[in-house]
Amino acid sequence: MKLVNRCLLIVLILSGVACTEVMPRQRGNLALSQMAFTTDGLEFGLRQHTAFSKESAAGGYGGGGGGCGCN
Amino acid sequence: MKNNKKSNIAAQLTCAALALPGLMQTASAGRVEETYNADFQYGNYVESNNRMRVDIFESALSAPIGKSMTASVNLVEDSISGASPVFNSRDTSGKTVQVKSGASPTSSCGKSICELRDAISSNLAYFFDKAALSFGGGYSREHDYASKYFNTTGSLDLNKKLTTLNFGASVAFDEIQPSPSIWNSRPADFRAHKTSQQYLLGVSQVIDKNSLVQSNMTFGYHTGFMSDPYKWVTFYNGNVSSDFQQDKRPNERFEWAWLTQYVRHFEQFNHAALHTDYRFSTNDWGVNAHTFEMSWHQPIADGWQVIPRFRYYSQDKADFYQPVFAGGSADYTSYSSDYRLAGFGTLSGGLKFSKEINELQPFSQLKFQTGFEYYAHKAEYQLGGNNQGTFANFGYYLITASFNLKF
Repeated sequence: MKLVNRCLLIVLILSGVACTEVMPRQRGNLALSQMAFTTDGLEFGLRQHTAFSKESAAGGYGGGGGGCGCN
Repeated sequence: MKNNKKSNIAAQLTCAALALPGLMQTASAGRVEETYNADFQYGNYVESNNRMRVDIFESALSAPIGKSMTASVNLVEDSISGASPVFNSRDTSGKTVQVKSGASPTSSCGKSICELRDAISSNLAYFFDKAALSFGGGYSREHDYASKYFNTTGSLDLNKKLTTLNFGASVAFDEIQPSPSIWNSRPADFRAHKTSQQYLLGVSQVIDKNSLVQSNMTFGYHTGFMSDPYKWVTFYNGNVSSDFQQDKRPNERFEWAWLTQYVRHFEQFNHAALHTDYRFSTNDWGVNAHTFEMSWHQPIADGWQVIPRFRYYSQDKADFYQPVFAGGSADYTSYSSDYRLAGFGTLSGGLKFSKEINELQPFSQLKFQTGFEYYAHKAEYQLGGNNQGTFANFGYYLITASFNLKF
């Protein structure tokens, strides 16, 4: 357990991430449209499809659509 | 006091867990839509060297059903024309050159490739108080390729909705029936199939009142026909061509990807937002890839926003890729010279503008967006360098324009 805690502490320090309690009334900035992980769904889909047809990497973003006989 | 301490520790541990590879994701649950949405998008994709050109027309509609459900449908048509690399050969000086499918005066568009892709997909999402579930499916068709797919996602809010766990699964069934072509040596009745599965596990987390992080891990497994039915491979004994065969790839691929996204708000810059993504992916064909993307969403005034962005991508070559092969095809179990399986890197950058108009009756919101992006694919951009030469380098630009109505 000690080892697990130590590992978590190291990861926390290395990542520089620190979580704080954010009350619902303090989440106004997070709700702005430019703060969405995906701000433009259609354009995101098109750019993903283009990258998928020209590069070998896939995955990470989830969803999963149909393949294509991309040239 | 003791309870506060405990919850602080729990929050810190949750946060630490987010930094561990594999516990994070992107497809957030979303919230129930309270408006009807109609989106239309046009895209214009043009490659350099007179290669491919694609015009994309897309529309999407979504509607609330009761207070807890959203249904959506999406239609796409891609109109594709142009030429594509077919194989590599050596010129008289021994230098590798790329050979493209040429013009075809007898085809419907005058190019060697004239294609339409039509796709339809739909989705139904149900929102609980602290969870969401969605089910979707779609169908995509080209004259030589058809794909049907199904997916489901789930999400669960924890820790006063500061943490969201995300899950997803999708499966696709593809059928390939190569068209008659001088580059297709298979019989006219040849048909092949491919099945793909992908599973996603992720977490999104509110870090503080100005920043969010999300991380996903996906596992993919593909089985079936994965060769390109129009690409060829040349084999050489010294500088003399000894064999010429159609692209032949393994019929199984396992892939794994880990994506982390970080979004930060800057109040002092008129509520601008910084987006950064990093993805590592690997597969058992030997391709490891890194993708780094960054964008800055800058509100200006009167609902205008300007969004500059930058992307870098680098991949290693597949184990069975070579620009041209030595010996004969019998010496190899798999072989491909497809530029997409080579080692290379890409740099792209673009600029996008959006304008939002609120409360213009009868709409509650209208949004117009347009963007331009240029993409350069070069062997020498590969992380750690690459001395394969410039024969496969190319670029493309992508212009998009869209409008969204909410009512």
